[in-house]
Amino acid sequence: MAQSSRWEFEAIGTRWQVDTAAELSAAIRSEVTALIGAFDQAWSRFRDDAQIAPLAEVPGSIPAPMDASPMLDLYVELSEATSGAVNPLIGDALARRGYDAHYGLVDRGAQPAPARWRDLLTWRDGVLTVREPAAIDIGALGKGRLVDRVMDLLLARDEVVGPVTVDAGGDIAIRGTERIALEHPYDATRAIGVWQVTDGALCASATQRRAWPGADGGGLHHVLDARTGEPVRTIAATWAVARDAMTADAAATALFFDGGPRFAHSHAVAWVRMTTDGRLEWSPDSKAELFL
Amino acid sequence: MIRTTAVPRSVRAGAAAASVLGMVALAGCSATTADPTPTTAPGDTMATSSAATPATTSDAGSASSAGAYKNGTYTAEGSYSTPESVETISVTVTLADDVVTDVEVTGNPTKRESEQYQGQFIGGIQSEVVGKKIDEISVSRVAGSSLTSGGFNKAIEEIKSEAKA
Repeated sequence: MAQSSRWEFEAIGTRWQVDTAAELSAAIRSEVTALIGAFDQAWSRFRDDAQIAPLAEVPGSIPAPMDASPMLDLYVELSEATSGAVNPLIGDALARRGYDAHYGLVDRGAQPAPARWRDLLTWRDGVLTVREPAAIDIGALGKGRLVDRVMDLLLARDEVVGPVTVDAGGDIAIRGTERIALEHPYDATRAIGVWQVTDGALCASATQRRAWPGADGGGLHHVLDARTGEPVRTIAATWAVARDAMTADAAATALFFDGGPRFAHSHAVAWVRMTTDGRLEWSPDSKAELFL
Repeated sequence: MIRTTAVPRSVRAGAAAASVLGMVALAGCSATTADPTPTTAPGDTMATSSAATPATTSDAGSASSAGAYKNGTYTAEGSYSTPESVETISVTVTLADDVVTDVEVTGNPTKRESEQYQGQFIGGIQSEVVGKKIDEISVSRVAGSSLTSGGFNKAIEEIKSEAKA
């Protein structure tokens, strides 16, 4: 790669790698750190001081946190495409299965997210309102959105020239070209293919990335079906390529469910996914080089 | 290593059929009922229109000493709604010692639009993909599951050590 300088750090629970042609100045790094901190403080389900935290206790309104409209508007489409399997009020359901603010990882059983979430949650005129206490979780696309924001910040700085890659634990935005191995979900030493991406974004999602034991002895992970509160069992891993990381991240989540291919098609997202029994599927427009 | 539970499946006949298939496999694996007829769980998007028909194959009804089900092959008709119509599919399940050993789904789209609806968003399918060693291919980075957060991994390690004690 043409990038010669890598900045690595941990934030929002994942490893970030920012690759640029020349080393980033301390000033730009602190801007990036502040942006990530502000996003986390707005939306994190894991922080007691998050802007959305009071809504989980008491119904009411708050000034809409950053990026509320672009993210929640896309959630409407995700929810419709997946027949309700993706839902931004899944925070309580995730916490009950053990994926809570303290990484308790103790399973207290399945609970669906509120199916009529669009009646309970509104965002307009800069105000975010819940009519019943609800734990908002933007996990289906929030990390992708933040990766886009970091990329936009870097590209807006005159001193940043040449190729740039922002990689937040598999949500990757690229200006330039990267050849990306698609890691086998059951064997981290192997790849099921390679995807060369130029000026776009690739987001990967895998169910065993964050998995823990369930009360019934089965494996639990962080991709739950909001209609049941149960983890998805059919798809093991997804990879999606789009112009921006939020769209790719949203599609990578949708592809765990039946409506995913349709959602991807309507947003011009190319994709590959692997089922839990080892089968690969891909979109008609996939440019991935697969090792079949 | 913790892994997800694989649901046995052999044929994938479109998105809607896959959910039917999962339900049938679930019903077939249930050991809580002595009824040998595969039952169909209620689904929110799918209405099942008929009862299962037990057994036309030779080993149907052969004794399975301790099992809840008789070994054999069972077929059921199901239906699901598309934007254009209601489609029917046929699901065949093979049971051996209370385990689903084979599932086949046959779709029969009645309208051309539905045929496109079932297939147009998927470009290809390939089973038993083994892949290549990452250190034997030329790439600039890896996208997958190897990068996890410190806090999460630490919690998993604690659970593992408690489970051993």
